[in-house]
Amino acid sequence: MRGVLLKIVRETWLGTLLFSVALLLVEVMLTLVLPQILDQMDVMLERMPFMRDFVAALLGIDIEGEITAQLMQAFVWVHPTVMTLLWANETMFCTRFPAGEIDRGTIDVLLALPVSRRTIYLCETIGWLAGGALMIGAGAIGYTIGSQMMPLENRPEFGLVLRILFNLYCVYFAVGGVTFLISSLSERRGRAVFTVFAIVVASFLANFLAQFWSPAQSLAFVSVLEYYQPASILRTGSLASGDVAVLLLVGGLTWLAGCEITARRNICTT
Amino acid sequence: MTILATRNLGKRYGSKVGVEDVNLNVEPATIFGFLGPNGAGKTTAIRLLLGFLRPTSGEARILGRDCWRESHRIKRDVGYLAGDVRLYPWLTVRRALPILEGARRQALTSAGMALAERFQLDPDKTVRKMSRGMRQKLGLILALAHESKLIVLDEPTSGLDPLMQLSLADLLRERAANGSTIFFSSHTLNEVEQLCDRVAIVRDGHIVTDEPLDDLRRRARRRVEVRFQTEEAASTIVPPTHLDIVRRDKDRWYAEFDGEAGPLTGWLGTQPVRDFLIGPPDLETIFRAFYRNKDGSS
Repeated sequence: MRGVLLKIVRETWLGTLLFSVALLLVEVMLTLVLPQILDQMDVMLERMPFMRDFVAALLGIDIEGEITAQLMQAFVWVHPTVMTLLWANETMFCTRFPAGEIDRGTIDVLLALPVSRRTIYLCETIGWLAGGALMIGAGAIGYTIGSQMMPLENRPEFGLVLRILFNLYCVYFAVGGVTFLISSLSERRGRAVFTVFAIVVASFLANFLAQFWSPAQSLAFVSVLEYYQPASILRTGSLASGDVAVLLLVGGLTWLAGCEITARRNICTT
Repeated sequence: MTILATRNLGKRYGSKVGVEDVNLNVEPATIFGFLGPNGAGKTTAIRLLLGFLRPTSGEARILGRDCWRESHRIKRDVGYLAGDVRLYPWLTVRRALPILEGARRQALTSAGMALAERFQLDPDKTVRKMSRGMRQKLGLILALAHESKLIVLDEPTSGLDPLMQLSLADLLRERAANGSTIFFSSHTLNEVEQLCDRVAIVRDGHIVTDEPLDDLRRRARRRVEVRFQTEEAASTIVPPTHLDIVRRDKDRWYAEFDGEAGPLTGWLGTQPVRDFLIGPPDLETIFRAFYRNKDGSS
């Protein structure tokens, strides 16, 4: 197991580090520009009322009355750049094994080691979860740095931020589990990445459209973002346990299915 | 105890046969040649042995363990080099050895570096800068760094220069002398003939023969060239029954015969012969016959 972990670290540390730094910088920037957006938000919403729907769609909640400064903090955690960085690194990580190894033909070397496929899968999982913790941690640091410029009364309390981070990590877990499952069914990494990308984009759109297009509302439950509610956490102060349960269940079941498929499938590189 | 045994081992891909009814028994400390043309099913059989593929029929066992169910346990005692080996672009000998040590829980650095020196491979050169032959050498180091009971090599000499092929053959003989069993897959008769004790020939997914090379040599025909004192003698003398004349050309016979050379040389001694030449057992002909398809094509 140590040897496989060593190989994973050697192959992934740079990518994860770069994505983490990028996320940190994006969080700093988003947090810094937020007060300026807030200043213009009320004027903008008065002139263009339809923007309220877009803001609500992005935050994933119904906005009644004024958009508060605290509520706007949710933007920092739902911004497409943040989600894209997180999912991009995750997709690259979770398609490494078995799809990536089969695709480049190196799985022969890996499976020649006296390590079971389940153990390799577990090692990749450890790397993926640790990488996610590092990235989300870097994002949190970026947010903390950026929020130093914010008036104290606008800063959400630390407990709320932790709940948002946990919710985000659950999203990361669910998407990763699905990605592992797709990887376990694939022999081409590019195909696996494209499939995950398509699912994630569809999920994003389903959630976005459901906010202001009623036919899409019946499909909203399939979107992973339906269960990611930073704005709701900031407004109510609590993390919906049902959302967390759904994300963990989806992530856990798909991860487990991927593990069993990987362990039982034929591996052919030619 | 048999190191490697298969019983009616088969792998089908839908209606296509990968291998079928493969029955092998490989004894300890032997060099076992696994010979066949490209696409005959050698690699499929090896992938079944290594637990990469699940058999659709029969079973394979290495050291008494099931190759599919206990694949990772088996690999503690197995070294494996894949055909057309593909390695991580960042890998070097020096970076590979700690990974190998971690996975095998053995100190392998000195053995690995010694192999790198023997194969004349720079331990700090990355795969992305390596030639095909260098990558093959690194693959061999990964397969041979640990002391294993069974070494499975799928076309290990491809990409190696002739001197390095000899060096590898010497190394494999040493390993066999120390008790390791070598499963040597190749499509080249010459290297199997020089190295192996026993050979199985695979064609169209089936084992067409599995026997010691000495037995094959005994069965193999030998070529004979006889030069008579006169053209008349060459055209009138009746050959003995065990000698098949392939061609007559003026004062010469070009012929083939089975078995020992003694009776033939005795007969030649009674004839007006100026000169004769008896070649070694012609394994190539026998192998070609095994390679040939049922319709006679190669």
